[in-house]
Amino acid sequence: MNRTTEKTYALPIGPVHVALEEPMYYKIELDGEIVRGVELTAGHVHRGMEALALRRNLFQNIVLTERVCSLCSNSHPYTYCMSVENLADIAVPPRAQCLRVVAEEIKRISSHLFNVGVMAHVIGYNSLFMHMMQQREIMQDVKETLYGNRMNLSANCIGGVTHDLEAEAFAFLLDGLARLEPEVARALDIYRTDRMVVARTRSVGVLSREDALALAVVGPVARGSGLATDIRRDAPYGAYVGLDVDVVVEQGGDVQSRALVRLREIQASIDLLRACVRAMPAGPTLAVLPEIPAGQAIARSEAPRGELIYYLRTDGSQTPNRLKWRVPSYMNWDALGIMLRNAKVSDIPLIVNSIDPCISCTER
Amino acid sequence: MELTLSALLHMLLFPGGVFALGAGLLLKGVDRRVQARLQRRVGPPLLQPFLDLAKLAAKETLVPETANRTAFLAAPLIGLTGMAVAAALIPVPGAYSGMPEMGDMLVLFYLLPLPAIALMVGGSASSSPFGALGFSREMGLMLAYEIPLLAVLLAVAMKAGAAVGAGPALSLTVVVGHQMAAGQFGFSPAMLPALAAYLLFLPGTLGVPPFDVPEAESEIVEGPLLEYSGPALGFFHLASALKTMVVLGLGVDMFFPTPLPGGALVNVCWFLAKCLALMLVSLTVARAATGRFRPDQAFTFFLKYPAPLALASLALAWMGF
Repeated sequence: MNRTTEKTYALPIGPVHVALEEPMYYKIELDGEIVRGVELTAGHVHRGMEALALRRNLFQNIVLTERVCSLCSNSHPYTYCMSVENLADIAVPPRAQCLRVVAEEIKRISSHLFNVGVMAHVIGYNSLFMHMMQQREIMQDVKETLYGNRMNLSANCIGGVTHDLEAEAFAFLLDGLARLEPEVARALDIYRTDRMVVARTRSVGVLSREDALALAVVGPVARGSGLATDIRRDAPYGAYVGLDVDVVVEQGGDVQSRALVRLREIQASIDLLRACVRAMPAGPTLAVLPEIPAGQAIARSEAPRGELIYYLRTDGSQTPNRLKWRVPSYMNWDALGIMLRNAKVSDIPLIVNSIDPCISCTER
Repeated sequence: MELTLSALLHMLLFPGGVFALGAGLLLKGVDRRVQARLQRRVGPPLLQPFLDLAKLAAKETLVPETANRTAFLAAPLIGLTGMAVAAALIPVPGAYSGMPEMGDMLVLFYLLPLPAIALMVGGSASSSPFGALGFSREMGLMLAYEIPLLAVLLAVAMKAGAAVGAGPALSLTVVVGHQMAAGQFGFSPAMLPALAAYLLFLPGTLGVPPFDVPEAESEIVEGPLLEYSGPALGFFHLASALKTMVVLGLGVDMFFPTPLPGGALVNVCWFLAKCLALMLVSLTVARAATGRFRPDQAFTFFLKYPAPLALASLALAWMGF
């Protein structure tokens, strides 16, 4: 934004920084403790995944997309599989669709708990950080018990799911949710009223409704600025068609609002999971697959960080002709320029964390 | 000559030097352990601060190319020596009566900021922008917490002096002696605000959350300490351990000095126990229950709460309560 003038000096934040979970280089122009300009340099975790996708067949790409990033590691293969299904007109059995929602919402809860936990760490509130991570452990246990893995669930495959969950697994899930629910309510109270949290997060990194619209931000960042957008409701897919998704909106547009949106979304996800388990249809979990024809298709989903889009083009062979994805963090990056304007140095990591940036997703 | 020798021994062995270092590091170990338990973690072994130092001693000290080498390497020593002298001025009631001829509370007031000044010198000599940020933060915070400290010291001196019928008694030996005869200040209603102010001053001067703004790890990555490594970093840790002991000991002497009947050994342990209690209340629990203030918030906080509290006690002591 700005060039170094006589009054300002440059402060490098990143690519390796305690408060950043992933590498990104921010060159901050400072005037005392006030931010006057931000310059982003990306590319530290570019792995050439879109090129890799063209060298693997359609099935191998499920494994590849699952490894784009660990926190959204279910949303990527899920959306990728949907794009293949859209392209080849594959009808996914109802039970598989419901099981996909279960995996997706479990991952969403974990992801949100992680983000609000890290927020507490950034403001130096380590006890709260430890507490949130301990609550997240409930969901980690659920993932490990249901899917055998704590991060990458490998739940999706083209035409359905890899795991059929049994009644015992659902009972374990419901038990975990019952333990998590009061803790989330308590956390919501802490993030809403604790004096330290409020002093550090309210009116910090404000993104107004107008700016949010103009920048087309997505996910909790948009919902924290009063925009009720959610792909699960606006363009329902899979089992979300039959589910009543509660779109959580906060009006503040600041760091606190975004954290509150995430915590309330956890509550909404808990309700969704219970609804899914209640209404779990019987039947097969995998469709019979046809030959994948040449063509192109798009699939959209609501990842923990917002709208995720997959574009797939095939030429009738086993490997895709083009596979491209647009991740939610990409849309939210630019908003940092507005949020960081005239912010204090102490608030930089806090504001960056509040958009829950996924750098691995963005750079892939 | 005799005086110098005994003064040296007091600075190097007891109650300064080896004793204060050992006790300070041990207290830090307890602090980390209790802190971990409050967060439902296991925590490090009690001797972890010693192990950390041993590790640092074996490492290399790297000096940044653009740093001012002399200032960069001298800075940690400023803090360390300052605190070693200060530790010798703290009486251990029942075991050591202090060195009134060497210095009083005013000397302590001048010695106490030395580690912070060392941090500022080191930070700015390191030529890192994080060091510069830490410098300005430490500077602002210091100005804020020195005001309540001075008011607390004066209130205590005034109260002890009023009883003798003289002006303020600045000698810690007199302050301790007076309380042993006339009751501890920690239980005197007029001095309670000063005690509260001192408890709030402790995390500020020691750079402990919620006042760890100069070193804020998740904001400015340890600020002035960022470029330090090896023994030079170890010296900062040593100075910090000494300072912990000095300010806690000063607090005990000012508010709860009464010794137990018994030998010197009993009273050294009793003194350490009181330091520990003071630390748990003002540092460990407070740290577990809060986050970190923004620099401006920390600054306002000190002017808003501890300063008026300490001044209230000073006014009450002045009026003879």
